[in-house]
Amino acid sequence: MLARITHTKALHWLGRQLLNRDNPAAYFDPLAEAINPMWVQEYTPAMVERITAETSDTKTFVLKPAKRWTGFKAGQHVNICADIDGIRRTRTFSLSSSPLLWESEGRITLTIKRLPGGLVTNWLHDSLKDGDVVGLTAAFGEFLIPTPAKPVLFVAGGSGITPILSQLETMADQNYRAPVTLLYFVRTQSDVIAGEKLTALAARYSALSLKIITTHEGKEPRYLNDNDLATVPGLKAREVYLCGPKGLMDLANDLLRQRGLKDTQIHSTFFAPPAQANLDNDQLGGEVTFSSSNLKVGSEGDANLLEIAEAAGLKPQHGCRMGICHQCSCRKTSGTVVNRLTGKVSGPGEESVQLCVSVPQGPVALDV
Amino acid sequence: MKKLNESQLNELQNDLDAIRNDVLADIGERDAKYIRRIIRLHRTLEIGGRVMMPFGFIPPVFIAATASLGIAKILENMEIGHNVMHGQYDWMNDPSLNSQTYEWDTVCTSDSWRRTHNYEHHTYTNIIGKDRDYGYAVLRLNDDEPWKPWHSLQFINYILLSVLFQWGVGVHELETEKLMRREISWRDKLPFLKQAARKGGRQAFKDYVFFPVLTLPVAPIVLAGNVGANLIRNLWASTVIFCGHFTQDAETFTEKECEGESKGHWYLRQLTGSSNFTGGKWLHVLSGHLSYQVEHHVFPDLPAHRYPEISEKVQAVCQKHGIPYNTGSFSKQYSTVVKRILRYSLPERLIGSAARA
Repeated sequence: MLARITHTKALHWLGRQLLNRDNPAAYFDPLAEAINPMWVQEYTPAMVERITAETSDTKTFVLKPAKRWTGFKAGQHVNICADIDGIRRTRTFSLSSSPLLWESEGRITLTIKRLPGGLVTNWLHDSLKDGDVVGLTAAFGEFLIPTPAKPVLFVAGGSGITPILSQLETMADQNYRAPVTLLYFVRTQSDVIAGEKLTALAARYSALSLKIITTHEGKEPRYLNDNDLATVPGLKAREVYLCGPKGLMDLANDLLRQRGLKDTQIHSTFFAPPAQANLDNDQLGGEVTFSSSNLKVGSEGDANLLEIAEAAGLKPQHGCRMGICHQCSCRKTSGTVVNRLTGKVSGPGEESVQLCVSVPQGPVALDV
Repeated sequence: MKKLNESQLNELQNDLDAIRNDVLADIGERDAKYIRRIIRLHRTLEIGGRVMMPFGFIPPVFIAATASLGIAKILENMEIGHNVMHGQYDWMNDPSLNSQTYEWDTVCTSDSWRRTHNYEHHTYTNIIGKDRDYGYAVLRLNDDEPWKPWHSLQFINYILLSVLFQWGVGVHELETEKLMRREISWRDKLPFLKQAARKGGRQAFKDYVFFPVLTLPVAPIVLAGNVGANLIRNLWASTVIFCGHFTQDAETFTEKECEGESKGHWYLRQLTGSSNFTGGKWLHVLSGHLSYQVEHHVFPDLPAHRYPEISEKVQAVCQKHGIPYNTGSFSKQYSTVVKRILRYSLPERLIGSAARA
């Protein structure tokens, strides 16, 4: 490890002396990309091996990342980056395969739903072909299976099933010794993602009880209700994992709390822009100083720093615009910001903030 | 300067903004492909030049290696570095092409360049006393500056500045003229000096120590080639840049006439204070499209390879408003620069009498 660090430091030193950049590899990347895109060093390249349709609007992409990729734990996500019409776009997706597949075959899968009007998901569905290469970051996320084994309840909605597919497969492979229940909500039967895989998992892994509930096949919508929870044995002792649309997540949170589950037992992950915390608009806004650009602009209401910067004609680096990928992180030198997602108020001092989810509360200065 | 009233200036602004918006609406894949192609060419030429250089004991190889490395440096400084730092490619969201983090292959640090060039020169273009790029505080190029005896030798200064251009640009922010007048102290400039020394040291280490020592038996050849490549870049960059604002008809402005100016007035100043030169495609590429200095000064953050396309529209706007559009062949424009340097090396009374005679 130490050898690796010194090695990297030496390389960075040499990179700065000879090539004016920390990472010498970044100098060679433009050539590498033209010769073999799998040689690029700036991100981990991953080649598309196969694309299969799951439903009418969801596809699974089988990717083979470069060998140096560091792997993942079931339930984690990755950022995918691709140049679309010349613009580098970054989006976060959950890994739907088990880590075992990566370890044994060097493959991973992403199961992605086409979002109406979504620039990246539509591009992935319509333009990405076998043999193309996309960029991959290291995996991240805390939506992890409990160790040691505890009873688990998964509540998934629609394409929110993807991280749970990875978790269930991992649990089945490990023969995870605790009761596992999945309540999977879909609009209609034809919207079930990975139906065959789920049935096969339930067949080979007896601890799993699987319940697929269609919400829009009857006359009235049929959403999650207390009866569904009543059928889960030993609910109060379970760790609960929620992944789905905001309506389902909110409903599940309320019902679980009513049944006396503690916040620490409930784990959520988002696959769409998460709900915004209730912010008191009157206190928000303020003058934002972009010190590197010699620019000062006022802001009002809940406009975030990225929007404020862009409205002022700046083009800071950014990615997901939803607080996940940290591409837009930069130094705040002074001032207070409110995190749009959590409602958490920052300290007044120097720290790194994510522009896309930070709303100024009074004057703020940034190194942008 | 051509005088326009406020409503004419507003109209000028609207006409130019319309050109800008057309380009912005069309920006994308084509521009990304273009700059990536130039970057690949730069890498190929630099690597090729450095690999060939140790074999420079064969004279044709020496010439090829030196030219290859010199052209690589020109491309990197002018078509890539200068333009990337103007934010022309920030919309690509590619961290390696970000205006605020890009560091280029020359002595001047990118941070210093962003302050002195992007901010000072592009904001106060050709305002005597505010635009320190006008004559680089070394040359007298205009009547507004009183003649001093040492100006009579300024052609020698000009040659020296061109030969050592990257070092001149590197220490430009030191503001030696203000230090001499005791308006600022050396202490104020300490942080800048540290940065400049580090970057200058790095550039000298790379070209004059590291690569020669790496190929020790032929070190003198590699050193000579690297010096040559830097010289080619220095002379070319200096020449192109001098053609941008010091040609015969490029106008200068006083601080007073620019006080509280409107955007329209700023546009007018950019149009009349800059000058283009004509030439083939590669002349434009190698000048970083600063051959379209007028377009560059009006739209410094539009991808430069678009300037040739919008040049006709800019000319039409100039014609509509009766504003002169300063262009000519490279040799014609450069000869007027040389004349200007020579002319202002003499005091006004001598010029006057020469003109009368």
